[in-house]
Amino acid sequence: MRASAAAVAVQPLRPGPATSAASAGNVRISNGLQQFLEMLADVPRARVLDLGSVWQSTISFFVDKGYRISTEDVLRGWKEFLTSEDDRQRAIPSGADSGKLAPQLLMANFLQDALGYPEQNFHGILVWDLLDYFDADLVPPLMERLFQVLHPGGALLALFHSRPVERFHRYRIVDSQTVESLAAPTIAVHAHVFQNREILDLFGKFRSSKTFVGRDQLREALFLR
Amino acid sequence: MWNNSVQSRPSSKADARLAAPLPSHSAMPSASEPASSPAPAAPSSATEPARAPSGAAESAIASNLKIAGEISGNSDLYIDGEVRGKVRMAGARVTVGAKGRIHADMEARELVIHGYVEGSLLATESLHLGASSHVLGTVLTPRIRIDDGAFLRGTVETITPGATSKPVAAIPKTPAIVPVVVAVGNEHEEIIP
Repeated sequence: MRASAAAVAVQPLRPGPATSAASAGNVRISNGLQQFLEMLADVPRARVLDLGSVWQSTISFFVDKGYRISTEDVLRGWKEFLTSEDDRQRAIPSGADSGKLAPQLLMANFLQDALGYPEQNFHGILVWDLLDYFDADLVPPLMERLFQVLHPGGALLALFHSRPVERFHRYRIVDSQTVESLAAPTIAVHAHVFQNREILDLFGKFRSSKTFVGRDQLREALFLR
Repeated sequence: MWNNSVQSRPSSKADARLAAPLPSHSAMPSASEPASSPAPAAPSSATEPARAPSGAAESAIASNLKIAGEISGNSDLYIDGEVRGKVRMAGARVTVGAKGRIHADMEARELVIHGYVEGSLLATESLHLGASSHVLGTVLTPRIRIDDGAFLRGTVETITPGATSKPVAAIPKTPAIVPVVVAVGNEHEEIIP
């Protein structure tokens, strides 16, 4: 099948932040996104992995560029995975070996399924602020898997809150330097505020990093493999 | 199997049914749906799936039906039941209702998803993921529309309108790679003014 970026005619977007009173004030200029996209600019038909929820505007943004966009709502997937594991446990008759797995092993099983992409497959990964919502001891295996599926030279963009957040937000791309955050039903509580040193340790295998801190104290971190 | 399992109906009745609000997909709640709608309600012409003026009767698989095997044909199809196998309706519009559960690769001119689909999707004209949709698989289409609250786990790739190739099942393992030149320091912190 011949893919043609020139022939793409994506549906018009739904009304964006400029016309949405509900989302006014949730739009932020993102230097991290801007530089993330610059890293992909010279890659024809780049492959991008979005670990947040699927949004029309984000999909259209990348499709318009001729990129291939994969979505994997990893936090929601993790919660559903845990729920199914709980269901499996409850179905085991009392007295029988429950076979209950340690969280780290559960995470390993989850990653094998949810991020079972070929290694070095993606040129860019959008993590958003999701690492803040995983237990700190479960983040390293997740990071290891993300490192594996990122192509050498590829970029990863993550956001980190500088203080605990009360509301759960989702993020979507508005344009090449603008991100919109949207309040969403809480599917996980904010678990951890990473300090700068912790962040650098997490991304220790990456060869370079750049961090931006906005006035809202949301840190944007761009890492390159 | 096909003739025994589907019910033909005039497209006008199907139009009326589809125009009504679709219930949420009970098996898969859309947890990612924003608490408050981030965008004002679009006009009905933008939120309702566009209907092809085919004039042909639409077939339907009701919610109490299960089909295993390959479904093929050219009339529009509405699926609210369970299908396992393949759905090949190259020239038609296929709608998966909120109760529909599909474990199959699907190919159609136009795909509208409100239910659960696991498989590769090829829509040669357009694909619409409704707010209650839950899709696991690769999507190939020239045009895609995604409502807030939709769940998609997979890859979206665009194709030339009218392409009829089979959907790809997986991401290629040996992609063409162009190295990205990196020109940033090892650590740098910048304060946005």
